[in-house]
Amino acid sequence: MRIAFTTRGTDWDAMMDPRFGRTEFFLVFDEKTGVLTHFDNRETGNEAHGAGPKTAQHLFNLNPDILITGNGPGGNAASALEKSGIMVYYGANEMTVREAYEAYKNDELSTV
Amino acid sequence: MKEIVVISGKGGTGKTSLAAAFAYLGGQEVIVADCDVDAADMHLLLKPDFGQSQDFYSGALAVIDNRKCTMCGRCHEVCRFEAVVLRNGRYVIDPFSCEGCGYCSRVCPEGAITDIPVKSGQWFISNIKTGSVMVHARLAPGAGNSGKLVARVKNEARQVAKEKNKDYIIVDGSPGTGCPVVSSLSGAAFVVLVTEPSLSGYHDLKRVHQLVQKFHIRAGCIINKSDINQKVTGDIEKYLQDQDILNLGRFLYDERFTEAMTRGLTIVEYDGSDLKKQVEESWNMINHAIQ
Repeated sequence: MRIAFTTRGTDWDAMMDPRFGRTEFFLVFDEKTGVLTHFDNRETGNEAHGAGPKTAQHLFNLNPDILITGNGPGGNAASALEKSGIMVYYGANEMTVREAYEAYKNDELSTV
Repeated sequence: MKEIVVISGKGGTGKTSLAAAFAYLGGQEVIVADCDVDAADMHLLLKPDFGQSQDFYSGALAVIDNRKCTMCGRCHEVCRFEAVVLRNGRYVIDPFSCEGCGYCSRVCPEGAITDIPVKSGQWFISNIKTGSVMVHARLAPGAGNSGKLVARVKNEARQVAKEKNKDYIIVDGSPGTGCPVVSSLSGAAFVVLVTEPSLSGYHDLKRVHQLVQKFHIRAGCIINKSDINQKVTGDIEKYLQDQDILNLGRFLYDERFTEAMTRGLTIVEYDGSDLKKQVEESWNMINHAIQ
């Protein structure tokens, strides 16, 4: 599985970003290869309007199977994500990426 | 760090009066973010010193370089805002009509049009009378609020809270359900909905709550001016129950809110008796809910 996280930093100890549209980074963990990569989304956070759908587009390009985030995407981003088939898990607020991944594996996060 | 966002959907329900009162009760422990930038008025009640300020740029404005322009008229054709006008035989941009969409600069075959960023206001980090700090903004005439500006104000507030080691941020959210509200809500730990029992108050409460649900944020509701329509108040209370929204109390229509405001005071400073007690009760419930 390729798992994307909305984060405020670029490593396992970074805090999760509860926001979707204006998340600072995406971290993508490929469980098969064990490789962790990141995508800098700060430019999208600087959009006056429409950050959600734009971020969704960036996420599609990263090609994850799963998204782990805090509050969950808003209306426009949610309808875009629905069509993508990416499973969205939310509720990973106030956690590090490592903790969020553990919470996901232990089935402690909610899903849309 | 926990963000408590106060929103209302409909304007005029008493959102800012209550948000400012909570900020006062929270005192030094609470950082304030005024994200109702279109009609910012927390500053009237919390007396900021406008200590630090920074310009804010949002959107763009097209500018035509007349030396490069060959008068082909492509920009005039494509502009759907009628912002490209002929003046004294030259094409110029009417800055009040230009939306900064970038269409004209994209189609210009001569590369004569540039989109320049527009200064749309300033944001401030201020010391306020509660002994704490408020992050707020002021828009330039005609400029609009945006998700970007709200995100900026909230980010700065988070930064201040981190530096000063404060656990709470109270966000005075923007009205409606649009982009600035989405941006106000994202990252929140708890939402306080302030409504009134008018049909539009109830209607807008429902709309904004749908948005809150999308973000899976726990919400509570205060019914202000609850005596102006007992029936609608009853309907709202039933709605709160059905939707599992925490009922944070009913307030009666009370002119002391207005009197406090005209003196630049929060309601808990102006009134030391029953109203203060009631606001304290709501504030305690909120604090309890986010623990």
